[in-house]
Amino acid sequence: MEYRMDNEYVLRRPKKALFIRLLGYFKPYLPLLALNILFAFLINGAALIKPYIIKHVIDNYLALKIYAPDVFMRMGLLYLAVVLAGCALTYSQTYILTYIGQKIMYDMRKQLFTHIQNMSMKFFDRNSSGRILTRVTNDVEALNEIFSGVLVNSVKDIIMILGIIATMFALDASLALISMGSIPLIVLVTFIYRKAARKNFLRMKMLIGRINGFLAENISGMKLVRIFHREKEKLQEFQKLDKEYFDTSLREVILNSLGRPIIEVINTLIIAVMIWYASGRITGGHLEIGVLYAFITYIRQFFAPINEIAEFYTSIQSALISAERIFDVLDTRELSEDMKTGKHVERIRGEIEFKNVWFAYDDENWVLKDVSFKIEPGETVAFVGATGSGKSTIISLMARFYDIQKGKILIDGVDIREYNLKDLRRQIAVVMQDVFLFSGDIKSNIRLRNSSITDEDIMRAAKLVCADRFIESLPNKYDEEVKERGCTFSAGQRQLISFARAVAFDPAVFVLDEATANIDTETEMAIQQAMANISGGRTTIIIAHRLSTIRNADKIIVIDKGRIKEIGTHDELIKKGGLYRQLYEKQLVYQCIA
Amino acid sequence: MGLLRSYIVKTTQLLWEFIKQFKWRYIIGMIVLLITSFISSMIPKITGYVTDSINDRMPASVTNKYLLMLVAATVAVFVLRFTWRYFLVGSNRYLECYLREKLFAHMQTLPASFYDNNKTGDLIAYAINDIQAIRRVFGFGFTSILDGVVVNTISIMIMVRTISPMLTLMALAPAPIIVLVIYFLRKKIRERFGMVQKAFAEMSGKVQESISGIRVIKAFAQEEEEVEDFLKYNQVRVDTQMSLTRVSAVLGPVTQLTFGISTVLFIIYGGGLVAKGVISLGDYVAFSSYIMVIMGPIVSIGRIIDVWQRGIASIQRLDRIFCQSSEKDAENALATVSLFGLNRQVEDSQPVEKLRGHIVIRDLTFAYPGTDKIVLHDINLEIKEGETLGILGRTGSGKTTLVNLLLRLYEVEDGHIFIGGRDINHIPLKVLRENIGYVPQDNFLFSTTIKDNIQFFKPIYSDSQIEDAAKMAGIYDEIISFPEGFNTVVGERGVTLSGGQKQRISIARAIIKDPSILILDDSLSAVDTKTEQRILENLKNVLKGRTGIVISHRVSVVRYCDHIIFLDEGRIIERGTHEELMRLRGAYYNLYTSQIEQAEDNLLLQARG
Repeated sequence: MEYRMDNEYVLRRPKKALFIRLLGYFKPYLPLLALNILFAFLINGAALIKPYIIKHVIDNYLALKIYAPDVFMRMGLLYLAVVLAGCALTYSQTYILTYIGQKIMYDMRKQLFTHIQNMSMKFFDRNSSGRILTRVTNDVEALNEIFSGVLVNSVKDIIMILGIIATMFALDASLALISMGSIPLIVLVTFIYRKAARKNFLRMKMLIGRINGFLAENISGMKLVRIFHREKEKLQEFQKLDKEYFDTSLREVILNSLGRPIIEVINTLIIAVMIWYASGRITGGHLEIGVLYAFITYIRQFFAPINEIAEFYTSIQSALISAERIFDVLDTRELSEDMKTGKHVERIRGEIEFKNVWFAYDDENWVLKDVSFKIEPGETVAFVGATGSGKSTIISLMARFYDIQKGKILIDGVDIREYNLKDLRRQIAVVMQDVFLFSGDIKSNIRLRNSSITDEDIMRAAKLVCADRFIESLPNKYDEEVKERGCTFSAGQRQLISFARAVAFDPAVFVLDEATANIDTETEMAIQQAMANISGGRTTIIIAHRLSTIRNADKIIVIDKGRIKEIGTHDELIKKGGLYRQLYEKQLVYQCIA
Repeated sequence: MGLLRSYIVKTTQLLWEFIKQFKWRYIIGMIVLLITSFISSMIPKITGYVTDSINDRMPASVTNKYLLMLVAATVAVFVLRFTWRYFLVGSNRYLECYLREKLFAHMQTLPASFYDNNKTGDLIAYAINDIQAIRRVFGFGFTSILDGVVVNTISIMIMVRTISPMLTLMALAPAPIIVLVIYFLRKKIRERFGMVQKAFAEMSGKVQESISGIRVIKAFAQEEEEVEDFLKYNQVRVDTQMSLTRVSAVLGPVTQLTFGISTVLFIIYGGGLVAKGVISLGDYVAFSSYIMVIMGPIVSIGRIIDVWQRGIASIQRLDRIFCQSSEKDAENALATVSLFGLNRQVEDSQPVEKLRGHIVIRDLTFAYPGTDKIVLHDINLEIKEGETLGILGRTGSGKTTLVNLLLRLYEVEDGHIFIGGRDINHIPLKVLRENIGYVPQDNFLFSTTIKDNIQFFKPIYSDSQIEDAAKMAGIYDEIISFPEGFNTVVGERGVTLSGGQKQRISIARAIIKDPSILILDDSLSAVDTKTEQRILENLKNVLKGRTGIVISHRVSVVRYCDHIIFLDEGRIIERGTHEELMRLRGAYYNLYTSQIEQAEDNLLLQARG
């Protein structure tokens, strides 16, 4: 999880550009937006009419002591109608605004997620999964405020303020002028208060984040703290943090107890001044008392819209930060993969050729240096080499997870860059060292989301790789639940499931990045058998540590520090007396001890 | 209620202690609140007087007098309200922090088994969300009730007495319905809000999984299908929010309607009263203000019930933790810390006695508390002072359990484990743990400076002691190659260290205490063969003159130990030196051959390069 303190963050892009780009997301919803602004006019109208109705009753009947029950009834019902209309409009407006905001967030998430799915592996190497996750989830959520409310509401608020002012002048110009005197004061206080409150709020959020982080770390490390007897020091550290939070928290109480109540005092002062000025005119018969009543109501209505506008100004700052982060991801085009264009191919034969391939993950440190080899269709080829020699890299390049810097990779005689990426990868199935299982069930882990793989295909694949035995023994068999990352299965079982997955996709090229030493002998035997079952007719590539498993390969490629050292069959390489023979003899010695 | 109380006894006790300590703040706060409520319920009446004085064409001086009263009352309410809020609401912020510190302190004293049974995320939620919920009961909940009751009582009294009982009754008529409606709305809102949160969490989970599994997705060209699936979660997020909005958007209009209906009744009926001269115009104006004042608390009753219910639930949750019994030693360690940063620093500076590193384990059988699965069977073992024992075995064979017992993270009965000739249960925990240097399995470092990680938050070591420990652990050169040296921050917000580097810092942390026993708990599993060799080389130095226990599932790590035991399903199945075990041709031998060949391949290839 990442925590941030917004007032320390400096935007790199111009605010205006960010804002305009955000506005662009409103485009599909312009009609709804227009409807909403119409509603805003009507809601404001209702709010302005209400005091006027009472003013009418006071001036024409009550002040003159005229008893007219039918008029009171009519006015009461009119008032009720206005209130009901206001309620219905407010409800619709809230609903539509939420809808727009949610739809825009949906669109943005769709755009982001699709974009991220089509990024090359380089992108995932460079960005932590936590960061990518935050972009799609929290950063988009942070824009909600802008899309579903603040923007439209501030339009509504401006209309409201203008409406109040206009009504006031229509009623009485000189009283209106006195009322205007309060506006600058209210605006000033509101903005100062809002800004301070927002800053304090963000600081509080940051501190809660830090408390959260502290607790997470200390609960995980609690055993160590106990063993090292540092409970006291840790508690004191926590107290320091908690004290900081307390200070900020208390400041929130103070700010809240000052901000809104001060407005109340200002309002009362203005109202007192106005009454003092108006009382003479009323006594002189130049002003009706109901007008005064309406003015008092209107003055009290100033605060809410001004408050909302101030809120808008302060909240937009943090929204823009999230916006910038989202756009940063959307604008990394150079790492995206093109899944659409390229030569379509139904099935490849499985001829793979590397021609003088040079490759570096970072454009600097060469991982593969001038690598050349050719694999014929249907051959079984083994790569042998130390950890970090470049074996796994070669496999990543075959499926074009990375593009090479120099040389050429040909499949069936065609440069792999000319193929449609999707078609290419569908032909090459890799069983990786670190197996990844998705949460779901066994079936969904074997077929992934490829609906053309039937249940029969799944069972056949499982049988082929000897995974059927353990799957059949599970309570729910193929529907057995797979929890997050498959943690309920042993490493060997996970390996077998991923094996079955690769087989079910019926690839032309089958790659097995050999499993680690932790797998028990039984599973290993099963995997050996599986290899024999599936290699017929396909190009099969094995990465192996244990040389005994690759003796029968058609071709063995020995690789060391990114260079190919030897290529040949087992017998040829033994005869040659090079690196392979040395390795082989070394292992033989251990077997002899046995 | 009686049943409820028995659940929350411990937390309530804590709350009472706090309130007693802050009683003057609460008393003053409440008195000021009462005065404030009284004055503020006078304001509408004063407004009424102002109106009447103008309408009845009284002299300007009368109007001005009422105006001054109005301004004075408003200013007084402002000042007084600030005062009580500062005392009452402010104290509750204290309460929040106090409870949190209490909770953390308490968690620090809980046994290891507590952490086996509770998820970190839940514990964090207790410390943040639940405590805030309790604070709200005492802050918003409590003050709103007090304020609301006083204001409404006085206002209604004034309305009934000086204006009109019938009018009052009519204005209040809709209130009960409103309270019920809002209460049910809130209940619905809470349910649906829970669904929104769940949808958001599930969407996050989906994104997280598709990032972690991106290699598989790409390898099988499943990107489009993955996007399709994500959109389902994305849509649920939208749908749940809209279903929440359908309910929550009613709240505002209902409130408007409440005020509206009261006003309507008032226009229809009250207008007649004024026109007939039963009440004055000023009463009419005052009355309309009172409606606003009274409806405020009524509208928030739903919210108060909500806050209250959540608070009780949170108190119950917290109580489950506070009722867990602590371990004495940790309680003692914290006894000198008083809450609120006022540290009574009584430094316990007397040196800890040295234990001799002679370990004997006799007929030890163990099952974790609350389980009946025996994880250690009949362990008999002796490690002489200065010797090193290697413990080998697969995951789950009982290696770590054995170490947990030596550190007394879990209790065993008397008469099974002896250190330096004394029964482990009779050695003060502080002495025991100060004498054992422990290097954990997961190389856990805190996100602070390297220096702080080595001295481990207690600045009692000199710089040269820290440097020596780092040198002995073989990490010194790497640390000073960082621009900030020992002050380099590690972890998320600092430098990312390799597994090997973390490992060696953990070792430095363990040996700076100069312990007589050093335990390495499978700590080399994260490092590659080359680093492993270097660390093992260092360890020879470190272990000189100390008793060592080295746990691993790799043969290469334990082969040079004086004694090796092979654990399998909690039993020692083989024991002896490396040579003896090789001759035995059993489990040890098999593991050796299968592991060593792979390692040797790598070494050979690296050597040739």
